[in-house]
Amino acid sequence: MAEQADYVTLVSSDGYSYVVQRSAACISPAIRRMLDPANGFLESKTGVIRFDNFHAILLETIVKYMYYNEKNKDARDIADMDFPDSLCLELVWAADYLDI
Amino acid sequence: MMATMSRRGGAKIRPPRRGLQGADVDFDTTWPILEGAFKEIHTKNASALSFEELYRNAYKIVLKKKGEELYNKVARFEEQWLGSTVRTEIVRTLTPPLTLTDGAGRTLATSSERRTAGEKFLKSLKHAWEDYQVCMGMLTDVLMYMDRVYCTDHRQPSIFAKSMGLFRDQILRTPVQPASTTLLDVLTRIVLDQIQMDRDGEAIDQFLIKSNVYMLEGLYESDLEVEDEKLYLRFEKVFLDQSANFYRDEGERMLKESDAGSYCRHAKKRIDEENDRCRSTLSESTSAKIQAVVEGELIRHKMKGLIEMENSGVAFMVDNDKFHELSLVFDLEARVDPRKSELTRAMQRLVTEMGTDINNAALTTSEATPQREAAGDDEDGKPAEEGAKQKLPAKPLSQQTVAALKWVEEILRLKDRFDKICTTSFSSDQTVSSAINRSMADVVNTFSRGSEYISLFIDDNMKRGIRDKTEAEIDSTLEKAIMVLRYLSDKDLFETYYKKHLCKRLLLKKSVSIDVEKQMISRMKIELGNSFTLKLEAMFKDMTLSEELSNGFRAHIAGVMDGAHNNSKPVDLSIRVLTSMTWPLEAFRGASGEDRDENSLGGRDITLYPPEIERLKSGFERFYAQKYSGRKLTWYNNMGDADLRARFPRSTRIHDVNCSTYAMLILLLFNDLPAGESLSLEEIEARTNIPRGDLARNLQSLAVAPKTRFLVKEPMSRDINSGDRFKFNDDFKPSFIKIKVGVVSAGNKVENDRERKETEKKNNDSRGFVIEAAVVRIMKQRKQLPHAQLLTETITQLSHQFKPDVNMIKKRIEGLIEREYLERMEDAPVPSYKYLA
Repeated sequence: MAEQADYVTLVSSDGYSYVVQRSAACISPAIRRMLDPANGFLESKTGVIRFDNFHAILLETIVKYMYYNEKNKDARDIADMDFPDSLCLELVWAADYLDI
Repeated sequence: MMATMSRRGGAKIRPPRRGLQGADVDFDTTWPILEGAFKEIHTKNASALSFEELYRNAYKIVLKKKGEELYNKVARFEEQWLGSTVRTEIVRTLTPPLTLTDGAGRTLATSSERRTAGEKFLKSLKHAWEDYQVCMGMLTDVLMYMDRVYCTDHRQPSIFAKSMGLFRDQILRTPVQPASTTLLDVLTRIVLDQIQMDRDGEAIDQFLIKSNVYMLEGLYESDLEVEDEKLYLRFEKVFLDQSANFYRDEGERMLKESDAGSYCRHAKKRIDEENDRCRSTLSESTSAKIQAVVEGELIRHKMKGLIEMENSGVAFMVDNDKFHELSLVFDLEARVDPRKSELTRAMQRLVTEMGTDINNAALTTSEATPQREAAGDDEDGKPAEEGAKQKLPAKPLSQQTVAALKWVEEILRLKDRFDKICTTSFSSDQTVSSAINRSMADVVNTFSRGSEYISLFIDDNMKRGIRDKTEAEIDSTLEKAIMVLRYLSDKDLFETYYKKHLCKRLLLKKSVSIDVEKQMISRMKIELGNSFTLKLEAMFKDMTLSEELSNGFRAHIAGVMDGAHNNSKPVDLSIRVLTSMTWPLEAFRGASGEDRDENSLGGRDITLYPPEIERLKSGFERFYAQKYSGRKLTWYNNMGDADLRARFPRSTRIHDVNCSTYAMLILLLFNDLPAGESLSLEEIEARTNIPRGDLARNLQSLAVAPKTRFLVKEPMSRDINSGDRFKFNDDFKPSFIKIKVGVVSAGNKVENDRERKETEKKNNDSRGFVIEAAVVRIMKQRKQLPHAQLLTETITQLSHQFKPDVNMIKKRIEGLIEREYLERMEDAPVPSYKYLA
């Protein structure tokens, strides 16, 4: 666990990996703490987080949101992000899980 | 935080998969996983654990509404962990040097043993705390979902706070052994012990203590974590108490053992030290409190003792000009008391003491001599004065004047001294310096002859002091006089004296420089106001007018002479016409020291003049009447002087003789007398009508004083008695061209007691009028006023002139009621007066 890499890898339950900018991923307090080197958990060393309860489509939407948020973090009055209706319940749940 | 969904009609919403909701999780199987992980965390083996997995597990448990169960389990787990593992670890470090420190045990271990053992304990406690914090940080992160959902919903303290509380209960609050002290007490004692070592100069590990203080600051009395219930406060209280004791003892010891200067330095050092200690060892938040304690113990309670310390207290510092130490005292006092009352009091006391010394010294100087002078001065002690006159100018000052000069000088020196202390040591502090000034004023005002002495001081400087001085020096002299004057409250009394002295200076031409006189007046004008100098200025005006008048008269005579071809020699007359109200002419009568009442000098001039003088006199009277009709001139011969040109048988030259008018009249008598004949005292008196007192005095100068013995007296004795005969001294051989016959009533001397009483009485009378005027002014404006208010208003109105006596005001009000200016109001609730127009 030398220097913290700028990118972390998020892995879905069905094996898809998403390499995400660390700062974007850290909008989730849960993810931020997983990666916190002070705590020294496995994730902070490897830079890889496995989400056993997120399937790829869900995780992808989440990652999209992360970037969408990152891109617009200083702006105000931004339009809401679009995502498929079919995911909405799962997203609500995931958001609760990740605290975003 | 999640972006809201955009709802598109008709799309099918996918239900979350079952597995995600964790419905299949069983608490009893999940908990052991977590528990195992927690153990790993506490033993620092977290790197193998997957946060996500633990998080997910905790999440699932909470989701299954088992949050409470989880919370309690975690708490119990932590409790056990702390109670067993951690505590034993710490208790183990309680080695004998520490456990023995109870009670008498203090002596059983040397301080270095205690220190090492203490450090070990502190270190282990610090480690335990820091580790625990880190671990609980991790745990909290893992259990984040529980905190967020369960604790918030059920109003439970977060698991972190809960576990901190557990740490407090399990580690700090649990007795080391059953029924013995808790670790917190031990900790407090050890920390205090270490601080004490630090105070005694032993090096301690400040950082170690600081870490432990951090811990105390991070812990609260209850799980509610109320901000002002930190455990640290408990420690702080003990710390402050202990410090108070320590400094009380130290302060007392220091007061006994060392001097005030080093005490101040030490106290200052201690305060700085404690300040540093708070920064480096304890908590910043304590710094103000401990400062207050040290200040309280070392300064506030000791200040009095410190200031009054014999041979080194403030008095000593002032005596020896220890400005630096005084400033230390000042700094210390300023810390505890913004008004610096102790120091102020001490300084005031010093000023008063030193001032009283000066006053007394002046009194003794003035009384040491008067035996000689008082005896002569009062009744007919001409010899003394004559003697003084003759030694002129070698010893021109009477002892009284010396006392007056000395007094003013000393007062100024005292003021300078304290001014210097104020500026150098007290950073010109307003309260202290004004208090000192107040005391100075008291000193000046308690000295009954203050006003007279100040006036004398100016008088002397005007006559002699400024003769060889540069302008700047004169300036500073005047400034000095004004400075003392500023303190004086009875300014009217001063005015009386000053007028008297100024009058003599002007008439007898004793003043060195009229310019300086005028400067002085203008200074007083600035300082005391217009009304004060009005009369003084009028005196100067009279002087200039008289000058013009004399010149005019001289021209007039010259004109008359030319026309009349009169061959009698012109006599030059230089006249001073003085407004009788402005000039304190009674001063001259008083100074002659005779009872002249039967001699009606007041109005008529009964002196007999030889014809040429008489002609001159009436000539001037006519001249004056032409210029100012309706004014009456009163001649004061006793104040005049005359220049004669005289030949003496034993000398070939013409001599200029300067003598008093009376002496001139006497000498002129002998001009016409055949050689060898003599006149008796009675004859002279009859032919000149000079009052007996003045006559005797002048005869004394003419017949007794060796350098001006124009006459020979029969019998030869010092005193002039009736029946004595006088004749021209044929053997008189003057050694100088210019001869000055001593003028007896010259010079401004301090008054004797009778005169002073008179002056005071006169002063009181005039004050009475001033008070009445003020009362009437006020009442005229207000129409009616309660008694008390009238009093205060009167006092404020008059305060720039003098400090009115309340009784005097009351008496004056009575007087005004009697004369029906005022009346008492019968129906008023408080005693009041009404103005009667």
